[in-house]
Order: sequence, then C-alpha cells, then structure tokens
Amino acid sequence: MEKIATICVYCGCGCGLFLHVEDGRIVGASPSPAHPVSRGRLCVKGWLAADFVHHPDRLKTPLVRKGGRMVRGSWDEVLSLTARRFKEIREESGPDALAVLTSAKGTNEENYLLAKLARAALKTNNVDHVARLCHAPSVAGLGFALGSGGMTNPIRSLLSSGAILVTGSNTTEQHPLVAAHILEAQSRGATLIVVDPRRTQMAQLADIHLAPRLGTDVSWTNGILNLIIDLGLVDEDFIIKRTEGFSALKDLVVQYTPVEVERITGIPSGDLEKAAVAFGEADRAAVVYAMGTTQHSCGTDNVLALANLVLATGNVGRDGTGIYPLRGHQNVQGACDMGALPSVYPGYQKVEDPAARERMEAAWGTDLPAEPGLTAVEMMEAAEEGRLKGVYISGENPMISYPDRDQVMRALSSLEFLAVADIFPTETTALADVVLPVASFAEKDGTFTSTERRVQRVRRAASPPGEARPEVEVAADLLRRLGVDADYASPEEVMAEISSVTPSYGGISYQRLGISGLSWPCPSRDHPGTEILHQGSFPIGRGRFSAVEQQELAEDLDYPLLLTTGRSLFHFHTGTMTRRTHLLDRERPKAAVDINPADAAALGVRSGTMVVVESATGSLEIEARLTEEVPVGTVYIPFHFAEAPANQLTARTLDPTSKIPGLKRTPVRIRRAE
Amino acid sequence: MTGTSAFFLRREDLVPLLEELAETLEVVAPVLVEGEAAFATWRGGALALDDKNPLASPMEFFLPKKEVLFRYVQYSGRYTFSEDPPRARLIFGMRPCDLQALKVIDGIFGAELPDIPYAGRRRSTIIVALNCTSPGEGCFCRSMGSGPGAEGGYDLLLTDLGRGYLVEPGSPAGVYILRAHQRHFEEADPEDQREKERLLALAGEEIIKRGPSLNPEKIREAIDGVDWEEAGRRCLACGGCSLVCPVCHCFSVLDQGVPDGERLRCRDTCILSGFSRMTSGANPRPALGERLRHWYLDKFVYIPEKTGLFGCVGCGRCSRVCLGEVDRWSLFKEAAE
Amino acid sequence: MKMDRSKKEADANGGTKIGRAAGAKPESYLPIQAEVVDIDVESSNTYLLSLRPMDEEDELVAVNYSPGQFLMVSVFGLGECPISIASSPTREPLQICVREAGKITQGIMAARVGDVLGIRGPFGNGFPVGSMRGKNVLIAGGGSGFATLRSLINYIADDRRDFRDVTVVYGARTSQDLYFTSEYGSWQAAKIEVGITVDMMDASWKGNVGLVTSLLADLDPVPGTAALCGPPMMIRAVARDLLGRGFIEPEIYISLERHMKCGVGKCEHCTMGRYHVCTNGPIFSYDVVGDLI
Ligand SMILES: Cc1cc2nc3c(=O)[nH]c(=O)nc-3n(C[C@H](O)[C@H](O)[C@H](O)COP(=O)(O)OP(=O)(O)OC[C@H]3O[C@@H](n4cnc5c(N)ncnc54)[C@H](O)[C@@H]3O)c2cc1C
Ligand code: SF4
Ligand code: SF4
Ligand code: FES
Repeated sequence: MEKIATICVYCGCGCGLFLHVEDGRIVGASPSPAHPVSRGRLCVKGWLAADFVHHPDRLKTPLVRKGGRMVRGSWDEVLSLTARRFKEIREESGPDALAVLTSAKGTNEENYLLAKLARAALKTNNVDHVARLCHAPSVAGLGFALGSGGMTNPIRSLLSSGAILVTGSNTTEQHPLVAAHILEAQSRGATLIVVDPRRTQMAQLADIHLAPRLGTDVSWTNGILNLIIDLGLVDEDFIIKRTEGFSALKDLVVQYTPVEVERITGIPSGDLEKAAVAFGEADRAAVVYAMGTTQHSCGTDNVLALANLVLATGNVGRDGTGIYPLRGHQNVQGACDMGALPSVYPGYQKVEDPAARERMEAAWGTDLPAEPGLTAVEMMEAAEEGRLKGVYISGENPMISYPDRDQVMRALSSLEFLAVADIFPTETTALADVVLPVASFAEKDGTFTSTERRVQRVRRAASPPGEARPEVEVAADLLRRLGVDADYASPEEVMAEISSVTPSYGGISYQRLGISGLSWPCPSRDHPGTEILHQGSFPIGRGRFSAVEQQELAEDLDYPLLLTTGRSLFHFHTGTMTRRTHLLDRERPKAAVDINPADAAALGVRSGTMVVVESATGSLEIEARLTEEVPVGTVYIPFHFAEAPANQLTARTLDPTSKIPGLKRTPVRIRRAE
Repeated sequence: MTGTSAFFLRREDLVPLLEELAETLEVVAPVLVEGEAAFATWRGGALALDDKNPLASPMEFFLPKKEVLFRYVQYSGRYTFSEDPPRARLIFGMRPCDLQALKVIDGIFGAELPDIPYAGRRRSTIIVALNCTSPGEGCFCRSMGSGPGAEGGYDLLLTDLGRGYLVEPGSPAGVYILRAHQRHFEEADPEDQREKERLLALAGEEIIKRGPSLNPEKIREAIDGVDWEEAGRRCLACGGCSLVCPVCHCFSVLDQGVPDGERLRCRDTCILSGFSRMTSGANPRPALGERLRHWYLDKFVYIPEKTGLFGCVGCGRCSRVCLGEVDRWSLFKEAAE
Repeated sequence: MKMDRSKKEADANGGTKIGRAAGAKPESYLPIQAEVVDIDVESSNTYLLSLRPMDEEDELVAVNYSPGQFLMVSVFGLGECPISIASSPTREPLQICVREAGKITQGIMAARVGDVLGIRGPFGNGFPVGSMRGKNVLIAGGGSGFATLRSLINYIADDRRDFRDVTVVYGARTSQDLYFTSEYGSWQAAKIEVGITVDMMDASWKGNVGLVTSLLADLDPVPGTAALCGPPMMIRAVARDLLGRGFIEPEIYISLERHMKCGVGKCEHCTMGRYHVCTNGPIFSYDVVGDLI
C-alpha cells in the first residue's frame, strides 16, 4: 500500500489528505496531520474523497457523434476533428464564434493551457468558468475596494479573531474546515455573528443570529456600519491613513437607522445593535461570506458593503482580521488566477491593457485579441442567437449548474460543434459532438489554489481508466494541432511557464511546494509567499469605500415565496462525483424542497408530499421536506439533482457589474402535485 | 534459541533485517510521506518510528477502507464468482493500542460466524509490535488498559532501549523469524528486560500526567448524564471519529458493474443518518446526538458485553480528528475525576 | 424425508440461534444462485417469487429454515438486501414476497422466470415454533409485514393438530394491498380463524374497515402465544391490546425491521441497543424489546 499526499477535490478549503493506494487502486483517504488547513481533520466528503474514482461509469474512451449516435473514436480522430471544426468555424464566422469554458475542478496547469488555447490558438477572449456563478462579484467588488479579489487572510488566521461575522455561507456544510476554525475561535472566546435567512447549523451555534429577508444584505450591512459610526467604533486612524471615500459613505448610511433596517430586512433593531457592538468592539474582527452574498443580481453591491465594514473598522492586514470570500470549488481561485476569465490574463492582467497584451504576445509568440470576451452566461445567450458556434467545455455541467436550464439546453443544442471533456457522462456530454475522457484529480499531477490563495501540489495516485488522459495533455495536444508550440514534458514545465508570465506566481515552482504550499503573491524565488494581504498598503494605494444603496426588490404577488438554492453537505455541485460515492448518495438520495412548517400548513403539504414549484422561468415537481431551517416565506432547493434541477426555476437576471446571475433569490409559488 | 527468552537487535541491524523479511513478504511500516509518518509498504530506507503513532491505524490492513468481497461475471444468465486470496504481510511497528484493537475485533469478526476475509488476512499477517516508550499527547491507553506496553497478540514485540531493541517472541511465527534471521539477534541481557520495565513505567506516568485520565467504568455510568442533544449540535457529521477509530468496524456493501462487476465492502460510520434509516424513511436514531450516544454506548457497554474488552483502546485519534470541536472526552468530566 | 428434517431444523433453530442450512456457508459473503421459477403478482407493487437453488448441493437451503427467518437477496450490479422467507419449510418451493421500495427491490421485481438471483442465508432466529406447539396462537400482521407471517401460518396449517386455537388478523391500506388473498380459504379450511380489515373503503371491498385492533375486539382470541409483524404503530397498538387480554410479554413475539447489510452480526447497521436484529432477531419477545420499539 502506498500513501500519496494530495489535495481534496471538493471545496475551496484545500485540505491536505493522503490517498491510500493498493495495487494501483485507491482504497481510501485520510487527513494529513501536518497540513495547515486540515491539521489531521477532514469533512465527510474529504474522508471519502476518492471514492468515485474507480466507478464503472467513468468515461474511458473518446466518443464522437456519428449519424446522431455517440461512437468510440481514437484520440487522434477526436482531437483532429475538434481542431478542424474550430478552424473552420473561425474561418467562416470569425474567432469570436468560438469559446472555451474551463473547469474549476481542473488544475492550474490545465486552466492555464485552456485559457491559452482560447487566446493564443483560437484568438478569442471568450473564456470563462464557473467562477462567474460564484465569485465574480468578489473579484469585481473586492478588486475595486481592496485591489484584489482574493481572501485577505489564511483560514488559520480566524483562530485569532475576537469577532467573526459569517453571512451567506452555510459554512458547516459548504466549507466545513473553515467552520471548524470558526468554532474553534468561538470556543477560545470569539463572538460568532451569523447573518442568514436560514437557520443553518452555523446559525444555531452563533452567539448572535440575524435572519434578514432575502436580497436585503446591503441594508443590514449599512445598518451595522451606521451603528458602528454612531457608537464611535470606527478606526479613524486607519480610515485617514489608508482609505478614501469615507465621507460619501457616511452621508449615505445615516439613512440606514435600526428602525429603517428592521422595516426592510425584518431584523429586530436590538439584534442589529448587538451585532454592531460585537463587531465594532472587537480588536480583531473578520467577515466571512460565500455564495449567499454573491449570487444575487446585486452581488457586487453586497460585497462592496461588506468591504466598507472591514475598512471602516480597520480590520485589514492583520492576523485575525480580514474578509474571506469562501471559494466553492477546490480550484476556482486558481482558474481565476490563470486567466480563465474573459477580461484578464494570468495574474489578473487586463486584456485591454496594451502593455499587458504586449507582454503576453511576446511570451506566447503570437498576436492576441484586445476586446474582452463573453462571460459564461452571455455565451449561452450568444449560442442561442447563433453568434457562438463552437465551444470547448472542460469538466463543467452547465445543464445543471447554470440558471435557466431550458435556455442552456437550447443554447448548447444550437451549437455547430461542442467538445466536452469530463470524467463521467453528464447531461452536458449528452449534447456533445466529441467527448474527451479525462483524468480525475487522483490521476494527475498539477497544482490547485485554495480559497486562501494557497498553491498546493496535487499528485497522481492511480492511472486514469482506459484511454482517459490528463487534460493538461489534451490541451497541449490541441494547442499543437492549432499551430501553437506546446511541447511540455510535464505539468511542472507548464508551471514554469505560468510563473514566468504571472507576476503573483513568479516564485512558485514544484520544488518549493512542500506540505503547506505557497500563498500568492509570491513574486520571486526567494519570496516566502504572502499569507496576509494588504499589510502595509493596498495594491491600489488606498482602500476605497463605496456608497452602495439597497436595490429595489421586485415583489410579485403571483409568486409569493422566495426560492433560494444551494448545496448540501453530502453532495457537491451537480453531484457527478458525490452521487457516485455510496455513503454520500445514501445520506441524501433524493432532492427535496425545504419548506417552513407554517408555509407548509398553509399549502396543505406534509413531509414527503410531492409539490410543484413554479417560477416565471419554469417549474418542477419535487418532494417537500418540512424544516424550521428555512424561515416563513422562503423555500430552499439544493441543486445537485438532475431529476429535480433547481435551475429550471432560476432566472438569468444578471448583476450589472459582475454578470453573476441572481441564483439566490427567485420568486416562486408552490402547490401540491396531482 | 528457545521460544521464551528475549533477544537484542542493534539499531543498525533493523533495516538489514527488514530487507531480508521483505524478500518474501510485503513489509508494512511507518514511513515518512510528505514529512508525516504513515503506515505504507516499506521500500527500503528510513523508518518513521520516532514519531507518534500514525493517524491512520494499521487496522486498515485487516479491515480495509474498501475491499472487493468478490467479483461476479455473468455468462448466459448464470454467474461465476472469484475472490482474491489474502496477501502475506508483515506489519512492523504496530503499537499496543492498535494491537488491543485487533483483539477486540477478533472477538467480533473472529467469533461466531467468522468473517472470512478478515480471518484470512488475520492468518496471513505477521505482527511485529513496538512498545510505546514516548507516548503521544492525546494517548490514554493506560486508562483503557491497552498500553503503553503490549501484552500478547503479537508475533514479535520490540521495545526501543536507545542503543537497540529488546525483541520478544509471542508466537511460533515470531520464534521462526528469530531463528531464520539469527545473525541479527543476540541473547538479551537481564538488564535489558529491567530497562524495558523501567521505560514503560515512565511512559505510563507520562500518559497519566498529560493525557486525559479516564475511568472506563465511570464513563459507562456517565453516558446517560451527558447532554447528547447539545453534543450533537456541535457535531459536523464528518464521520471522522468512526473512520479513524481502530476499533470501529462497521461497513456497507455495494455492487459496482453490470452485468460483470464487483461486490465491494467499504467502511461506514454510524454518525451518518443513512446508516440506520429504514425503507419507510423512519430512523431508529434520527438525531446526531442520539447517534453520538450510540457510538459511546457501543464502545463502553455493548462491545464489552460481547467481547469482554472495551471498544476504546485509548489511542486518542477520535479527539484529534473531531471537526466539530466536540470535546469528546471532556463530555465525561465527572468520569475523569 | 425432507419434511421431517426441515421440521426438526425449524423447531431447533427457531427462537434460539442463528439459522444455518446444511448447504450454505453463512459466514461467506458469496451468495448461492437461485433461479426464479415462478412469479405471482400479489398487488400492484408486490410480487411473490418462487426460487430454486441452481446447484444440487445448495438444495437444502430451500427447506432448511424456519418461519420468521430471512434471506439476503442479491441482484448482481444493484446489491443485496434482506427479504423474509414467505414460504413454509413444509412446502416447496422457497418463496419471497417483495415490495417495491428502491433500487434493489425494483431489481428483484424486474427478474423474469428463468433469471438468477443470489441468496445468502437463512439468517435470523425465526419464530420459536417449537415452544408454540400446544398453545393458542394469535398471528397479527399489518401491511407488507404479512409475508413473514404467511410462512408461520402455512407451517402451522401443515401441522395443525400440534397447535390449539389459531387466529390470524391482518390489515392493509386498501383491498388492493392485501396479500395472499387466495390462501385465506385454505387457512379457514384448516380451522384457522381469519380476520381481515382495510384502512380505506373502496367499491370492491365488502369486508371490515378499520384497524387490526378492531378485529381483535371481534374475534376475542384466547391468551396464548402471539406473533406480530407490521408497522411500529400497529405493533404497539396490538401488543397493548393483547396485554390487556391476558397475553404475557414473553409470549408476544415481534418481527422487527432494521437497515441490514451483512445478516451475520458484523456490519452494525441493524443494531438496536445491545442487540443485532439480524442475529439476535428479527424475532424478539415483547419483554425484551417492548421499550425499544
Ligand atoms: C429482516 C427484514 C426482512 C424484510 N423482509 C422483506 C420482505 O419480505 N419483503 C420486502 O419487500 N421487503 C422486506 N424488507 C425490506 C427490504 O429489505 C427493503 O425494502 C430493501 O432493503 C430496500 O432496498 P432497495 O434497494 O429496494 O431500496 P433503497 O433504494 O436502497 O432504499 C430505500 C430506503 O430503504 C432504506 N434501506 C436501504 N437498505 C436497507 C436495508 N438493507 N434494510 C432496511 N432498509 C434499507 C434506505 O435507507 C432507503 O431509505 C425486509 C427488511 C428486513 C430488515
Ligand atoms: S474511541 Fe477514540 S480513543 Fe478510543 S480507540 Fe477509538 S479512536 Fe481511539
Ligand atoms: S468527528 Fe466530531 S464532528 Fe465528526 S462526526 Fe465525529 S463527533 Fe461529529
Ligand atoms: S445486518 Fe450486519 S450486523 Fe446485522
């Protein structure tokens, strides 16, 4: 038996674990005791991290559509077909008729090469990935306020906090190792404030739980800030020395009196005060948030409001302080870092910046397009309208994870050519013209960058099944077929190229990545990495306050309930991996809509009743589950289940700045199924 | 050489001895993986014997986290089955607590209707145990009567005396190894035996000093006084406490593959609600607190009834992995006094 | 010959120890193969399957069991689950009665005559038929739990003289959900009193409507020994009723259901307090489990 040290494939915590390998087969996993995040612990998904790897459903051979049927093809056949079709589409309709969706499940090396494939080979900036659906508002909001969209501090830093405000994050279920740190801080005396409409486990364990109405985040955040200003708990010194724009904000937030906030959000003014005092008085306070904050059509505003709070209280740049946008996927941070975004190159260098473009053109030895490309959801619209004709999708399942499933279906089916790389057949591979079987995280070498910007080594513990190949090889092969030099002997050589073109990864190499990895920015070979950002200054000079206001909330009498969607502890994303993990699937074998017993009584619904949930976008039939975890007026559906796809209901209303869809708030109505 | 006496193995002779053993057997030993001690196939080189007992117990070589029970192949409607024979292994450096766990499992998987895969592995595994002269922080084996010195259940027992190891055989297989590899061993000095006793006594005191001191009888009595609902509120349902425990042995069974495939068995945990949920959806232990309570009852009441041994061996691993900051043993503060 | 032997086995196994048939190796996780030789539709979601072990050496499995024992039934590729034996060891073939619940039960029901299923067992203790002899017997079933009781009823019917008054009460949701309707006549012919009831009235039903306990009020069984299987609510109500009639706790036997994976007391899924339902049960007397159900 061998034990191979690697990084967990699920959430952004980036836990270190050992895969136990017997006769070339992964038989188990256990936590790495020395790893800075896992410290010998894992959540249930981590303990079972590699359980799906040898599942018989794995894609083992390349497939190609012939006469409407998917048949087995050779790698040479499918890759040359892919390259040829992309070239033809580019010639007929121009490079912007092509797009690449990379995967937050992929390694940095894979994301880098796929972004390079889009830009250097296909000549389009149409490259994006799932981050659009989770943290684009963080990149936009924190980028504006602090100069970087990353988490400011390492997870471990929370242990020194005196107050922790958690919002829009079902931390115990989504980022269990972050939750473990928060709970440890709490048992060392930190005050835990949880702001969440649902009574999650985190909310139940909180010292103060505020339950706002969905979509009113800006109001309560401004309200807390207003109280902190009133109570004289702002950090004047910090505001003067390190920020700008405070007075405009101050003038705005006075309107958010506790009474007004109570009217908008439903949070009792006394509770709001308690939270403001606890947060304001703490010497070191931190804000932790996740998709419940960002997945709104006002997602960027929500993030800006939270940034105001940490800036005004001087909670930046020290241990125990900071703002923590929790990344959903284990490498969503890395995919962004690698420039798998329509507007930036690796290291967030803007494609519109001629100097940056020149640097990249020199490095890649080819000319590059200057216009930012389409975002993921825009791609789906462009496809439906016929502007987008050829797409390469890497390990994503937009059929389940994107809003408005019917539209995604129309979009993907109207493409002239769709290539999909994945480890399992999905609803999306079913629509593909070629399917590329690729290696899972346990079958390849590379790096992941966790939510705390920690770049860590992922190691091959077993061989990919059948003819499956690591996607880094597939991407390099496609690059070569499209006329770009890509003779990498190993992922390590790709990392060498990454560090040469990505200033924040400049000092990162495989040799330097020990058990703790390295946190970027790590600009040079002798740089120790940066665990805490913004210590002396911000990359943009001064931190910027923004006066953000509560958006008008559309109420619709036809759809009196508000639907929010999310993930459960036992499943990940669209469930392609967790539903093939025996114990996880058994734990939550089917989809259900969570309804408060009071709402249920009014609807005449009991636990187990089949109900129809309808929104302006669509409808679905699903079993009801009665729970006080959701407040009256709100219902909740996890989006893992293909047979009850929550995103059949969600709309594509986009945040104007970051283009994130408002997945977390959809007006719906519910009735008993016949 | 006689079966009962003790021998001495010089430090520098350990690796050559293992090299000889590895010619015929797979040798499993604590080795360093990314700086951490872990039980894995030894492929020569340094051993990680100075570190504390690895987090993943060598019990996984008897009760694998996942194993193929049998393969089925369908041919015109009928099936043929095949099973893998157990492999010959030597586990080097197994600690007294894990050895005790093996004894407990013998009382469950080895008794009445013996579990065939377990029994096979048990028979084909040679155990070279290592006494704990520098116990880890959370260890409380002494309270549970399982350490720091091993009593029986091994083929060979080593005690680190500094300059080398005192080696005592505990079975015919152990004696055979001593004979077959004579040149590495010399007759032990009576002084060595006394030195061993002294070191183990010291280690025992050390454990009492810094580890939780628990009285299993009192824990048994205290179980009903614990606020399980409160404990359950903090549990994050990671299952770690059972997945890491050397005594926990529950499993699930599943098939993979149609028409040909494998029937697999994998480690399970009673912390998950699906573990006991029934067809109707009803669950005998619906709340986390009830499941935690069952976990302790099993270890301190039911397993002792069945095997005469406690279902906890005091290795401290469950506290190390607990994600929910459930202060697992301080639940029994009273019992500790 | 076979019948005598099975009777001895059944009496010896029942209520005491883990069943063990000559041909099968219960400690092995390898199932034996059994061919589906007949399928009867009991209700829209319940089939009665007759099985015949395929290898001669396994043939004894089909008769060496006692009422109340169960098998672990495999559909290769889908898995294995516990299913009570619905037939009596006094009659071949071996039968199981399966109700659709999920993946594996659907797989079993998808089998056609001639298909092969895997079986392991018999497991569990079974009803203490030996000690029931010479006593009045009350058998009360609810819903799909009736399958295991049918084994006991037919066992008693085939040896009727050994038992005193025998009464069967059985309730289901609707008349369509009643199992073994064609056999009630033969039971009555064997001097077994039979009372049937349904929860919900429908056009085709002319009999009783109401709970099983209402049948007890009508039939007024004489105290003796009782065998119960059904949903927990029904079990509790019937047991309470029987205690009120002078039945004693150690003579009320209840067949319990738990999540099961191994059938041999190893996997720990079926634990109920200190008991393993698979080996210590599934039949328990009320004095042992009364406060656990
Ligand atoms: C002693 C005993 C005798 C039984 N006798 C019969 C019988 O005669 N006829 C009959 O139709 N059914 C019987 N059952 C119930 C039958 O075992 C379950 O319906 C079956 O296991 C469900 O499996 P599935 O794959 O079809 O459903 P799944 O899809 O696996 O599960 C459906 C639900 O059943 C639960 N479940 C899963 N596995 C088990 C299990 N092994 N035991 C109990 N619950 C489980 C799951 O948690 C889930 O909630 C018996 C059960 C026991 C314990
Ligand atoms: S219960 Fe905890 S301390 Fe006891 S043997 Fe199991 S893991 Fe070790
Ligand atoms: S280790 Fe702790 S958090 Fe995890 S299941 Fe056990 S008690 Fe719960
Ligand atoms: S079914 Fe496995 S212990 Fe009872």
